[in-house]
Amino acid sequence: MTANSSTRLLKLALPLVSQHGFTRAALARSVLHLPTPHPEPLSDTAVSALFGRGDLARKTLLRAWLDGGVESMHSRPPGGGVSVKDALHARLAYNEPVLAHLPEAFALLAAPESGIPPIDPIPALKHAARIADEACYAAGDQSLRLSWYTRRASLIGIYSAAELHQLTSPQTAHSFLDSLLSTSAKIESSVEDVKLFSSYIFRSWAGIIRSKDVL
Amino acid sequence: MQRSLRLLPRVHRLARGINTPASDSSKSTPRTASFGFRTVPEEEKESLVKNVFDSVASSYDLMNDASSLGVHRLWKDTFVSTLRPGKKGPLRCIDVAGGTGDIALRILDHAREKYADRETTVEVVDINGQMLKEGFRRFKKTMYHNTPQISFHEANAQELTPTQFTDNTYDLYTIAFGIRNCTSIPDVLKEAHRVLKPGGTFACLEFSRVNNPLLSLAYDQYSFTMIPLMGTILAGDRASYQYLVESIRKFPPQPEFANMIRDAGFTTGKHVDGGAWTDLWGGIACIHTAVKLA
Repeated sequence: MTANSSTRLLKLALPLVSQHGFTRAALARSVLHLPTPHPEPLSDTAVSALFGRGDLARKTLLRAWLDGGVESMHSRPPGGGVSVKDALHARLAYNEPVLAHLPEAFALLAAPESGIPPIDPIPALKHAARIADEACYAAGDQSLRLSWYTRRASLIGIYSAAELHQLTSPQTAHSFLDSLLSTSAKIESSVEDVKLFSSYIFRSWAGIIRSKDVL
Repeated sequence: MQRSLRLLPRVHRLARGINTPASDSSKSTPRTASFGFRTVPEEEKESLVKNVFDSVASSYDLMNDASSLGVHRLWKDTFVSTLRPGKKGPLRCIDVAGGTGDIALRILDHAREKYADRETTVEVVDINGQMLKEGFRRFKKTMYHNTPQISFHEANAQELTPTQFTDNTYDLYTIAFGIRNCTSIPDVLKEAHRVLKPGGTFACLEFSRVNNPLLSLAYDQYSFTMIPLMGTILAGDRASYQYLVESIRKFPPQPEFANMIRDAGFTTGKHVDGGAWTDLWGGIACIHTAVKLA
């Protein structure tokens, strides 16, 4: 038994999520899929011992699943690298088998460990931010300084919207993501246009003022 | 704490010169064990521990509470409620080094009060007959006396009799404040692994290393000045309290002990606080949990 076999059990538990959800039952049943399977699922005590008490165990499973999701974004299509779009689509596709359990999972993620405040938005933001960052990384994004942030911020918005959309309407999620991406590209280019145009205006006004000898 | 405190009444006679450096005697004897900061031959530690336990007075509870300010009770409560015995059906438990039945009683109470479970059983094992008698007496005051739920056995944690404690038998193995006093920790772990069922849980409550430097400073001050002082005042016995404090410092820190548990064949959670182990009160005590997978 390797030192990391609790990690191994987590890996074995991931395929069970679609059936059992992010529950302690899924973790308990992971031992049924070991190379030498156990006759019965792990006891409640054992699940606590390995993965944490109560909902902590479910969080451990959820985190492992999220980690798997980040890895899934790097799966390259045959021939060629990954674009931001591919990465985000891959991530949405990773949600599909467990879609029914996702609302509960996100609720769990937002539930603070100590009980106050009632909802903790930080994990949800982190989740989206991590995916946006990973998509940029997978696509080899080279942006620097301010655009590094704006790029990721827009992707956070886009991915969060697409994921929310996916929860209510799984069939249209991918096309919705595409439309959001193209809209954001359009917005980006129009922002650029506005910037360019305003710089013209500014320069012309500066020229007029200078020619009038005001300054 | 309880376990080491049990040592107290007799230890001072056996442990004179407790502060001599560990390396002194280790050269001459090939197999040694630590007895506080002193190193003694393995056989000697076992007999030291055994002798001491045989003459233990039943008044150590007072000293326990005095020197831990009653906190050991809280730790034991936390320890048992972490394990949630009886939540999913009855468990067959073995409580090693549990002579007075502190943990056993908590396990049975937890199972009964929370989950209306009267089928969970605990076998209390201790190397010392006197402590077991104390536990037996204590259990006579409870409803568990004369039921199959509880039984007491005299045995050594390092070599549980294979005929009595057969392989793959127990769902839960607990050892609280006991493993520190054993001669060979790996042997205890090996036996624990043997008697547990696949899927069974190993749980150990023990004093451990305080990692916060400020707390550690305060705790060191407290334990090297206050505890021996209290020993002098309450029991007229400073050296044995010195042993208590020293044996705590000699016990491997959390990550090292977690490695030992894994070396015995157990599976643990992540190698951090909250995973393989859970610190209590900043690491003054620590709960280690592990599962036997195969």
